[in-house]
Amino acid sequence: MPKNASRYYWLCQISGWGFLGLVMVLFSSTFEQKITFKLIGFLAVVVVAGIFTTHIFREVIRRSGWLMLPVEKALPKLLIGVLLTCVADSLIRIVVVDSLGLSITRQKMDFLPRLLATTFDNGLLIIPWTLIYYFYHYIEKSRKQQLDTLKLEALVKELELKTIKSHINPHFIFNALNSIRALVDENPVRARTAITELSNILRSSMQAEKLETVTFEKELNIVKDYLALEHIRFEDRLEIEYEIDEDTLDQPIPPMMLQTLVENAIKHGISKQVGGGKVKIVSDFSDNYHELVIQNTGYLNGARNGDGFGLASTKNRLQILFGQKANFDIREIDGNVVEARVLIPIDTK
Amino acid sequence: MIKAIIIDDERLARNELKKLLMDFPEIEVIAEAANASEGVEKIDSLNPDLIFLDIQMPGKTGFDMLSELERAPNVIFTTAYDEYALKAFEVNALDYLLKPVEPKRLADALQKLQLEEDKEPISDHPISVNRSILGEHDQVFVKDGERCWFVKLSDIRLFESVGNYAKVYFGANKPLILKSLNALEERLDEKVFFRANRKHIVNLRLIEKIEPYFNGGLLLEMKGGEKIEVSRRQTVKFKEMMSL
Repeated sequence: MPKNASRYYWLCQISGWGFLGLVMVLFSSTFEQKITFKLIGFLAVVVVAGIFTTHIFREVIRRSGWLMLPVEKALPKLLIGVLLTCVADSLIRIVVVDSLGLSITRQKMDFLPRLLATTFDNGLLIIPWTLIYYFYHYIEKSRKQQLDTLKLEALVKELELKTIKSHINPHFIFNALNSIRALVDENPVRARTAITELSNILRSSMQAEKLETVTFEKELNIVKDYLALEHIRFEDRLEIEYEIDEDTLDQPIPPMMLQTLVENAIKHGISKQVGGGKVKIVSDFSDNYHELVIQNTGYLNGARNGDGFGLASTKNRLQILFGQKANFDIREIDGNVVEARVLIPIDTK
Repeated sequence: MIKAIIIDDERLARNELKKLLMDFPEIEVIAEAANASEGVEKIDSLNPDLIFLDIQMPGKTGFDMLSELERAPNVIFTTAYDEYALKAFEVNALDYLLKPVEPKRLADALQKLQLEEDKEPISDHPISVNRSILGEHDQVFVKDGERCWFVKLSDIRLFESVGNYAKVYFGANKPLILKSLNALEERLDEKVFFRANRKHIVNLRLIEKIEPYFNGGLLLEMKGGEKIEVSRRQTVKFKEMMSL
């Protein structure tokens, strides 16, 4: 237990019992009695015995870990503890008060009824003490639990985002490098721009690690570079079409998301067609959403479960960043066109 | 001179490889193909000694294409990066080149091929030999799920019919291939492969023991421990062959 908590405990313990003693002194002075030396002594015994027994009770609670137990298991144990503490306190009080001759009651009582009465008296002090002690720790515990869960959730989210972002296909990189090497002799100018395009993609995939979102414009530039490189590879087997609403260029989107979807369109669509096909990218506003559509020639079979890392994580990632309203789905239209659609709610702040 | 065909769906990748191969005058690139079916066509008509084969192609993969061939030529795989394919290579020690191809690796792969050929020179086969019959030294490509092998026919001890498939026994493996036993029998050299009964074709060179069996039949024990019954009718033929 930290030092601070221990200091705080003693502060509460002394001020609580001290306050009780003070109230009893004031109470006595207002009514019936004069404040005698004997009375002060008697109250001092009550306060010191109270601090002593509750402190021992606290040690017992702490060492046997009752605070960690669920409420229904802790309560009976606490109840017995309270009873024993009260009896112990009473015994100490009676013995000390008698031996110091500080008794303030006039008539003599038998031991047993006196013990019972003192125990009842003590109960009025120790039960509230226990309640305060227990519930303070109960609240503290649940607050800490909540904090831990939140921290854990944040960590999981961060890790998820990292793994998704760093996902760039090595097959693509090496194929692109191979095409570029062939281009060096065939078309040196094109080879030079291809190297720049590849650099852009690699750089942005590294920077993506650090960013939550990027503007659509930035992401679109990467995708244009990417498709230009794939066009070198596939030549006339790949046709590319853009349909971009200029106003959507400033919208925030998760980095590398569009890239991953277009990569899938190539990998599962175009590269499987002997005759090749077309990739079309549409960006538009629809109601209160920024709508991104990626269409490609091909069929959906298997793409959803088999190699669906990109697809499964895309929805997840969108909802982590933009909340439950964000959506992602993929379906087959017209028999040989696959359409992936992303909906991101527009931030109207 | 080694006749080679390059099979890759990317024109630039084919060009790049052709350019690299110019440093090896013993290799002559006689054709190119852009996909598996073109590849099968050209291999069947041109009968190359060697093919450079890309794995990821539209339609069928390089592996699929190979398992369609009756006789697998020498193959050097080329791939950019493919975890699954690389795993298959590791298991079976097939030769492969990673794109972009390092000239030194290409030289190594070609040299390895040359050494293999020196051991069993293909060119020693008389030209008159009917190429539709598979010889002992011919190899076939067998693919079963994720695993694949190049197998010399001389290493296969048994073909077993399982429905439309045939189970091929070699080493500790017995993968299935989509071929009927009758089709296989037609293509196999009958001096080596013998149809023991309705369900089995055995390699005569890999028989461990021969015992008499019921009804005047025979029981063969193969080198791998499999026991194969020879039907009564085939027993006559078997005895005839073995007494030669």
